[in-house]
Amino acid sequence: MRQVECAGKTTREINQEIRHLIMDGEQEIVVLRPQARHNLGVAVLQPVKLVFEGSVGYYCAGLVDGPSVEIRGSAGWGVAEGMMSGTVIVEQNAGNSAAASIRGGTVVIRGSAGARAGIAMKGGTLIIQGDCGYMVGFMMQKGTIIICGDAGEALGDSMYEGRIFVGGSIAELGNDAITQEPTPEDHEFLTSVLTQYGIKSTHTFQKVVAGRRLWRFDKKEFDTWKEAL
Amino acid sequence: MREEAVLQHSNIWRPETIEDIQIKAELGRYRIRGFSALRSRQLPSFDDLTFIPCTLTRIPLEGYRERCSTKTILGTRFAKRPLELDIPIMVTGMSYGALSYNAKVALARAATKAGTSTTTGDGGMLPAERENSRALVYEVLPSRYGLNVHHLQMANAIELTVGQGAKPGTGGLLLESKVSDEIAAMRDLPPGVDQRSPCRHPDWLGPDDMVLKIEELREATDWQVPIFVKMGASRVYDDVKLAAKAGADVVVVDGMEGGTGASPDILLDHTGIPTLAAVCEARAALEDVKLYGEVQLIIAGGIRSGTDAAKALALGADAIYVGTAALIALNCNKPMYVEDYHKLGTEPYACHHCHTGRCPVGITTQDRELMKRLDIDEGAERVVNFFHAMTLEIQMLARACGKVDVHDLEPEDLRALTLESSMITGIPLVGTNVVFAGGPGWKKSTHR
Repeated sequence: MRQVECAGKTTREINQEIRHLIMDGEQEIVVLRPQARHNLGVAVLQPVKLVFEGSVGYYCAGLVDGPSVEIRGSAGWGVAEGMMSGTVIVEQNAGNSAAASIRGGTVVIRGSAGARAGIAMKGGTLIIQGDCGYMVGFMMQKGTIIICGDAGEALGDSMYEGRIFVGGSIAELGNDAITQEPTPEDHEFLTSVLTQYGIKSTHTFQKVVAGRRLWRFDKKEFDTWKEAL
Repeated sequence: MREEAVLQHSNIWRPETIEDIQIKAELGRYRIRGFSALRSRQLPSFDDLTFIPCTLTRIPLEGYRERCSTKTILGTRFAKRPLELDIPIMVTGMSYGALSYNAKVALARAATKAGTSTTTGDGGMLPAERENSRALVYEVLPSRYGLNVHHLQMANAIELTVGQGAKPGTGGLLLESKVSDEIAAMRDLPPGVDQRSPCRHPDWLGPDDMVLKIEELREATDWQVPIFVKMGASRVYDDVKLAAKAGADVVVVDGMEGGTGASPDILLDHTGIPTLAAVCEARAALEDVKLYGEVQLIIAGGIRSGTDAAKALALGADAIYVGTAALIALNCNKPMYVEDYHKLGTEPYACHHCHTGRCPVGITTQDRELMKRLDIDEGAERVVNFFHAMTLEIQMLARACGKVDVHDLEPEDLRALTLESSMITGIPLVGTNVVFAGGPGWKKSTHR
């Protein structure tokens, strides 16, 4: 295990130091005093363990493929955005657009997440242990979002595919989002993935999926379309 | 004696207006089509300007003897590896999905042979496009379809797209017939869906966030390659200043003439400002933030010829994107397979049916049979020839204006043919030597 000290360094210097340690074959890197800086640990493409000892700013662990990242604090906007594979765990809260457009891997927010989490998701899994803001799962395409707490307005708005599970209440479903009875496979998946990340949830999960009324322009459903476009 | 004319069309209720209402009465939604603006009102354009070559006040270059450089370098501000091109004409972003495989590969080969770049588009990188291109601009769009960090790192430049000229302020469309299994898989969409792309980026909103997004892209590519910011032309003067201040190496402004594979028709015809006005506002913006020359400017939207390109260069562009013109060189709207144009209810020279996926010449389709009508190498050769012709045209005009480098073309080489274009560009109206300008033009001090 090697440490990277952030104090007195630019983002560029911190990221270069992380990259050099990875190139030298280091398997575990602890980043000290990240001080909510933006763009830390961007585009790490190796299966290393990367720990941030404190809160981080925008796009931490954005565009990564393979690492397992722990943020021992809160994260700003767009944590893990565009991730291909790997794991990103945020110990506290996440700002807007957590796990935006991820294509694979798992993002776990131990606290609550802001608005637009899991927006345009293209795969992978996003787990929010607390509550989340509005428009979570907006235009989601694939993958799974699990919200153990309460979900804000416009949940799953205009989603193409994918599934959203909510343990608490749903303030409002988004345009074309519908609830569905979870299948036995869904229950099995939830138990297994929540256990894997040490999350005890006694909630009964509701399942939200696309109503698919926005899949075709030629459907004359004015009430749906006037909200969608 | 009859009092009414036998056949007289109203100028308010013209045949196309009546048809438009009756089509919408059937559809129950706005109309969607491809191609470019079709509005009948003539837009202010580069045709409203003329070059004033050398006579006695300036000396022209000898056409066949004296060199006139076309080398174009983009991204000199922050990137370690600026994009070096042989010509100032580049292929703009058009997605694999909107275009066929054959069209994408033909454009990549043509760009490489002509010494320039091609651009990915809103659908991710087609591996064959990377293999066939020496310089590839990788677009990062609001939809993030197919966005892959490994592809990002293979690019020669990154283009952060805020919007496009065809439909600024809205997202892309790809209708069902073109969302084939392969295209759907690349974009992580259900096959056969009518795809609507978001218009906002999922993880940033305004220019303050964009500063951080640009830094992220630089960190992800080790500060090696230029970052472009592309926008549809609307409030160009302010938007260009914001993009330059946010850290862009290159700003791309796409005028309202810009084409598309599919768009609500009203957006094509009634949103954005013409490319002629956009280039003037963009240049004024860069000058005002003292970044003209340091941040390069690419102009797009309805550029048809070397003449248009030379005028854009003279007004302040560093390079020109072409899209529709390159497709036309590939045979778009050519009178062949005429019966298939008729099946679409159109005819050669009037086809704007890219959205149907039934392109008679195999360019804007995912149909394997139609695609075969576009031979990759023959198509590439035509685009190379067209780019060479455009380059020769630019050089010819530059030489006539006494320039040893096409980038030395300047507003003083132009005069306005109309009062309107004089006011837009700040260039004197022919025969007057008076600048009728109010907006941000190239010579602000003289008219502000």
